[in-house]
Amino acid sequence: MLRHDVVVVGAGLAGMRAAIEAKRAGADVAIISKLHPTRSHSGSAEGGINAALGNASEDSPEIHTFDTVKGSDYLGDQDAIEIMCTEAPGDIYELEHMGAVFSRFADGRIAQRPFGAAGSPRTVYSADITGHVLIHVLYEQLLKYEVPVYEEFFALDLALDGGRCVGVLAWDIVSGGVHGISAHNTILATGGVGRMYYGTTNAYACTGDGMSMAWRAGVPLKDMEFMQFHPTTLKSNGVLITEGCRGEGAYLRNSNGDRFMAIAAPNAMELASRDVVSRAETKEIEEGRGVDGCVLLDLTHLGAKKILTRLPGSRELAMDYAGVDPILEPIPVRPGAHYHMGGVDTDSDGQTLLPGLYAAGECACVSVHGANRLGGNSLMETITFGRRSGAHAGAEALANRNGALVAASAVRDADSRIRAIFGRAGGQRPWQVREELATSMYDDAGVFRNQERLERCLTAVGDLRERGRDVVVDDTGDRFNTDLVSVLELESMLEMADCLVTGALARQESRGAHTRLDHPERDDERWMKHTLAWYDGGKVRLDYKPVTVTRFEPMVRSY
Amino acid sequence: MEVTLKIRRSPDGASHTTETYTVEVPETATLLDALDAVKDKRDGTLAYRKSCRMAVCGSCGMRMDGGAVLACKTAMKPLVEAGHVPTISPMGNLPVIKDLVVDMEPFWAKIRAVKPFLQTEAHPAKEHLVEAQVQQANIGKEALCIMCGCCVSECNSMESDPDFLGPAALAKAQRFVGDQREDDVARRSRLKDLNGAHGIWDCTRCYFCNQRCPKGVDPRDAIAKLGAQTFRFGSGSEFGAKTNMFAPVGTVVEPGVAHAQVFVDSTRRGGFLDETQLVPKTIGPLAAALDVPFALRLARAGKVPNPLHKHKAKNNDEVKRLWKLLEAQAREQQGLGTNHPSLIDSHD
Repeated sequence: MLRHDVVVVGAGLAGMRAAIEAKRAGADVAIISKLHPTRSHSGSAEGGINAALGNASEDSPEIHTFDTVKGSDYLGDQDAIEIMCTEAPGDIYELEHMGAVFSRFADGRIAQRPFGAAGSPRTVYSADITGHVLIHVLYEQLLKYEVPVYEEFFALDLALDGGRCVGVLAWDIVSGGVHGISAHNTILATGGVGRMYYGTTNAYACTGDGMSMAWRAGVPLKDMEFMQFHPTTLKSNGVLITEGCRGEGAYLRNSNGDRFMAIAAPNAMELASRDVVSRAETKEIEEGRGVDGCVLLDLTHLGAKKILTRLPGSRELAMDYAGVDPILEPIPVRPGAHYHMGGVDTDSDGQTLLPGLYAAGECACVSVHGANRLGGNSLMETITFGRRSGAHAGAEALANRNGALVAASAVRDADSRIRAIFGRAGGQRPWQVREELATSMYDDAGVFRNQERLERCLTAVGDLRERGRDVVVDDTGDRFNTDLVSVLELESMLEMADCLVTGALARQESRGAHTRLDHPERDDERWMKHTLAWYDGGKVRLDYKPVTVTRFEPMVRSY
Repeated sequence: MEVTLKIRRSPDGASHTTETYTVEVPETATLLDALDAVKDKRDGTLAYRKSCRMAVCGSCGMRMDGGAVLACKTAMKPLVEAGHVPTISPMGNLPVIKDLVVDMEPFWAKIRAVKPFLQTEAHPAKEHLVEAQVQQANIGKEALCIMCGCCVSECNSMESDPDFLGPAALAKAQRFVGDQREDDVARRSRLKDLNGAHGIWDCTRCYFCNQRCPKGVDPRDAIAKLGAQTFRFGSGSEFGAKTNMFAPVGTVVEPGVAHAQVFVDSTRRGGFLDETQLVPKTIGPLAAALDVPFALRLARAGKVPNPLHKHKAKNNDEVKRLWKLLEAQAREQQGLGTNHPSLIDSHD
C-alpha cells in the first residue's frame, strides 16, 4: 500500500506548485498523474500571467482586483480575487528566482504586455510560450525538492472513510493494475474538460477526471455552466492563437475587411473581454460576414520583426495547422472552448466541503473568474492557489495525520470495475459517443444558448450517458492500454457535460460567457449567485450560494 | 484524403510485426490525426502517447521512415501527394514498452543527472532581479526544449555508449551554465561534472540531434557552448588537461579537454595537427606507453604518420591571422551568444 501525508492528483502548474509547497511545509508529498508532468496542458498556455508589477505603466493590486471583478461579470468572489491580485507580484518574483525566463524590457526589468480587459499592461510573459517556460521551471523545482511522481497513473476515484477523503484509487497505465494511494490530504489539480466540445483549444488529456471524481464523492461543483470560448482558435484542430497577438496590436476583420469590434466594444476594440469578442465573432459568422466559418486575425501590419520576436510560436502554429504565414496574410480564427470557469467548489485555501480533499487550478472554482476569466489570470491562479492549497494541506496533515488508509476492499472494487469494462460486448466504440457529445455541446451549449438548444443538448447528453455505460474496448490487456483510458475519460466528460448543461438551462440570464438569447440581460436580482451541482444518485441536483462582495457593487459592464 | 501507414506493432515491447492500415482523414491531418483514425476505426489496441497536438507537450515523439518526428507536427498531405507510404516505429535508444510507446525513464534519469534547476544561493531574497535581456540570449534556444526525446532517439554516440548523457540532458545543462543568475561556484561544479565520463567530450558531432529537433533547440550547439565555457573557466588546472600528464596509470581521468587542447596548441604552433603528440598529450605519457603495442600494429597497417615529418604549414602566418580573428570573435561573443530571439526580445 502506497501512502503519503499529501497526494496531489495532476501535475500541471497548480499540482506541481501545490506539491512543492506541501513539501516545503515538511509533509511527505507525492504526485500522481496520467501524464508525465511536463506533458500537462498548462504547458500549452501562451500569452502570459497577470501580476500588478507596474513595470509598463502605473498599476496596483487594487486595479487588478477591480478589472478581475468586472471581468467576472460580478460572479467572482471578491475576497478570493483580492487575495490573488495582492499575492501575485510575490509569486512572480519567486518564479523568477526559481529560474523562469521571462521576457524583459531594455532596462532589464520583467516586461509586461497589454491583455484583454486589463486597465494596464499587466501580463508578464515569455514570448508566446509562457506556459511552456513555467511548466519546465516547476518540474525543475519538483526534481530539486525530490517529490516522487507516480507517472502515467490514471486516478479512478477518491477513497472515502467515515466522511473523509483518505486518498485515491488509480490504474497503472504502464503495467496495469489498481493501486490504493493513501493520503491524509488529497489535492485535485486535474485541469479542465474542454474536450467535451468539438472546437476546443484543450489537449486530449483535458477530460475533467478530477472534477467528476469529486462530484461522484458528493462534493459540489460550482458554476459549471460557465465555459469560456476563446475568440482566436484555428478551425482545423482548435489550436489556440494567443490573445497576445491582439495585445501586440493585431486586428480582427470580417469578410468585408471591417474591424467589427468597433460596434461591440468601441473603446477596447480587439482587447475587449473574451466573452465580448467571441460573441461579436459568432455574430459576424452567423450573419454571413465570416470567411469559411471564421473571421480573420490580421497581424500583417505588425511587421516581420515584431512577429518573429514576440509571437514566433503563434506564427509556427499558424503555419503548421492553418497553412498561413501571418507575416503575409491574416489567420482564419473562430471561437473555441478554452477554459472552464466552473469546477470543484473550494475556499481560498483550496479546501472543499469534503474533509481531506482540496482542489486547485482549472479543476477548482474558488471563484476568481466568476462568469468570465481574463486572459493571463488562469496561470496566476494556478500558482497562487496551488501554493496556498499545498501550504494548507501540508501543514494540516502534519498537525492532524491519523494514519487512515484506503481500504483493500475499495481497491478490489475498483479493479472489478475495470475488469467489467474489459468484459463488455455489443456497445459502441468510445469515439462514436465522444464525437456525438462534442458536436452536440459545440452546437447547442456554445457561445449563444437558448432554452430550446439547451433542452435538446440535455436530452442528447442523457442518451449519451446511457450509451457511454456500454462502450467497448478493443484492447483488454493490462499493458499501456490507452483504449481503456479513453473509456474512463469519456465517462468523466459525459458527467461533466450533464452538470454544465443542467446548470446552463436553469440559469435564465446572460452573464459573462453564459449567453442566453432568450434571456439577454444580466439579472442580479435573481441570478447573482453561484450554482452548485451535486451528485444525486447519478443525476445532477442544483442549488445555489451567494457571491462574496467586499468592495465593488455590480455595475453595467461595457468595454 | 486516404492515408496508408505501415506501423511497427509490438504488443509486449519485445517481438514485433509491421501492419499496414489505410484510413480516411481530412486534408489538414497530421501523422497524429492519422494514428487516431487507425486507433478509432481500425484497431483500438494500437498504443502511442499524445496530448497537446500542438508541438509543445513532447508526448508524441516517434520515428517516421527511420528518423524521429513529432507526430502532431508532421503533415500527411505531402506524403499522400507523393504516393509515399511511411513506416512508423518507436523512437530509438530507448526501450519499447508497447507499439510506439517507449520507456522514457532512461531519458529522465539523464535529465536528473545534470541537476536541472537554477542554483542561486546568492539571490535568495524575494526581490526583483534586474537582468540584461542580452544575457538571456545565452539560454534562449535551450529553454525551448520540450523533452520529446527526438534528439536522443537519433544520437549516434548514445547508440554505442548508452551511458552518454546525450543531447537533451546536455542542452538542459547549458540552460543553467549559460544563465547569468546561476552562482559561479555552482556553474564551475556543473562544468566539472559535465567534463567527466560520458560527458560533453563523448559527442561525435554528427549533428543528427540538431537535424531532428522539432523545436530548434540545436543540442549540438549547446554542447559546443559547454565546451567553450569549459576552456573559459580554465581547462588546465581544474578539468584535467594538465593533471592528466602526471596521472597514475590506471586511474580514470577524463581526457576530453586535454584532447581538445592538443588540437588548439598544435594548430596554433604549426598550422597542422601533430598527430604523434595527440595520444601522449591526451592521456599522458605513462598511459600512452601502454598503448605502444597498439601503435605498432597501426604502424604495420600504414596508419601512423611519419614522426620525423615536420608538422608545419607552408603559410603559417595566415594560420596565425586566423587564430587572431577567432580570438577576437570569441571575446566579442563572450557571454553574448548568437541565439534564437524568441525569448529575448526587448521592447522598443
